[in-house]
Amino acid sequence: MTLEAIDVHHGYGTETVFEGVSLSVSPGEVVAIIGPSGVGKSTLLRLLALFDAPNRGSIEYENQAVWDVSEQRRLEYRRRIGMVFQEASLFDASVRRNAEYGLRVRRSWTDRLRHELSSLVGKTNGTGDAIDALETVGLREQADQDASSLSGGEAQRVAFARALAYEPDILLLDEPTSDLDPRNTAVIEDAILEARRRGIGVVIATHDMHQAERIADRVAVLLGNDIIEVGNTETVFENPTDERTRKFIEGELIY
Amino acid sequence: MPLEPDTLTPLLIDFPFEWNYIRSIIYVSLYVSLTAVVLSTLFSLPVALLVGFKDFRGKTLLTSIINTGMGFPSVVVGLVVLFAVSNQGPLGSFDLVFTTEAMIMSQFILAAPVITGVSLAAVSSVEQNVRDAAYAMGGTKTDVALVTIKEARYGIATAVLAGFGRAISEVGSVLIVGGNIASSDGTSVTRTITTAIQLEARQGRFETAMILGAILVVLVLIVNAIVVRLGNGGGGGRYE
Repeated sequence: MTLEAIDVHHGYGTETVFEGVSLSVSPGEVVAIIGPSGVGKSTLLRLLALFDAPNRGSIEYENQAVWDVSEQRRLEYRRRIGMVFQEASLFDASVRRNAEYGLRVRRSWTDRLRHELSSLVGKTNGTGDAIDALETVGLREQADQDASSLSGGEAQRVAFARALAYEPDILLLDEPTSDLDPRNTAVIEDAILEARRRGIGVVIATHDMHQAERIADRVAVLLGNDIIEVGNTETVFENPTDERTRKFIEGELIY
Repeated sequence: MPLEPDTLTPLLIDFPFEWNYIRSIIYVSLYVSLTAVVLSTLFSLPVALLVGFKDFRGKTLLTSIINTGMGFPSVVVGLVVLFAVSNQGPLGSFDLVFTTEAMIMSQFILAAPVITGVSLAAVSSVEQNVRDAAYAMGGTKTDVALVTIKEARYGIATAVLAGFGRAISEVGSVLIVGGNIASSDGTSVTRTITTAIQLEARQGRFETAMILGAILVVLVLIVNAIVVRLGNGGGGGRYE
């Protein structure tokens, strides 16, 4: 269940974003991608989430190049990956309906219809996995609230629960706490560690060095058009092999 | 001033005949307009999603055609449809001149650009990150399209209303392609509320024309209320 980017070259038009980027994430580990704003952390996560194919190189899941398979097979891979964005991007619906979304799209059309009809006559009260995921982020009690009534921090926690509910193998997090207060940040970080405990591989893009130190098993430093260093978190922060890493971590490298 | 019983008697005696007449006109109006609006909506929503989210050659031209279509002169549409269904036209063999089917065709052409244009604005306003979230959660392209439609449901309801408003209040094209025909038993064949108002007013029967006018306004209000209610998810239910 390893997800890998292998020698990825990517860009838009004449702009080069990556030149030979490689990164992997395995079950039950947290990998933090650190780097300055605009370096391409989100682009790398979108490539790993199979939004776009890289211009060159490959994205592999369980050693299978995902862009060499049929669209249906790729959809199966996509459905084993979850993603949380910097903005919560919740749907205009209740908290419960948001949390259930990933489970709902995995059902057949007839099952969906049956489930919707059961909901209308009150024979079902939501999916257990979605409620469990809401419990993980401390929002079980708000399940029947409108998502639009939540604070920014709560909304982001629901977005996390929405991705956690269908138990993906890999969870990709694009600066999920950059707009949050310390309390909500702590809840999300606890949920990330809970995901790791359940065996989910997590990749988190962050520019918060302390956060990377707190939760990551490995750190990848994205500078320029490449990952210049990947390693054990403590090693990267204490004894970086690349001088640019040290300068970036200590705030001497300005981009 | 209170109405004298003698003043009301002629109206009450005439009413059963008038009511059959009016009821058949309402039926034809609703049948033609609702059918045209349903067909237009089924056609317009995919087009709005396609134009809103796909890049293709001719997209600007198509957008211009949609915008121009929103202001198409209805008489011209009626003329074109009449020619199409006439003996010299490509649909001449279907024998559609002065039929409700021809009226549906002309109302479809009038309503579709309105529904497409307003729906396009509505679906385009759904943020990219919401659609990305649906895709990232394992949604297919169809799932993402459904989320977009549900997020834009108020705007789409407005689009359907605008299309229905254009169709039901239309005079020129339905007069040309439908012929404003009533059968010998006094019921409507292709006569709609608007063409009947035009006829009744021209013949000086203002009471009937006024009743039809009031019915038209009430119908539009009722359909507005239903669509707004549906757009609100039944007032309580919510969508993703």
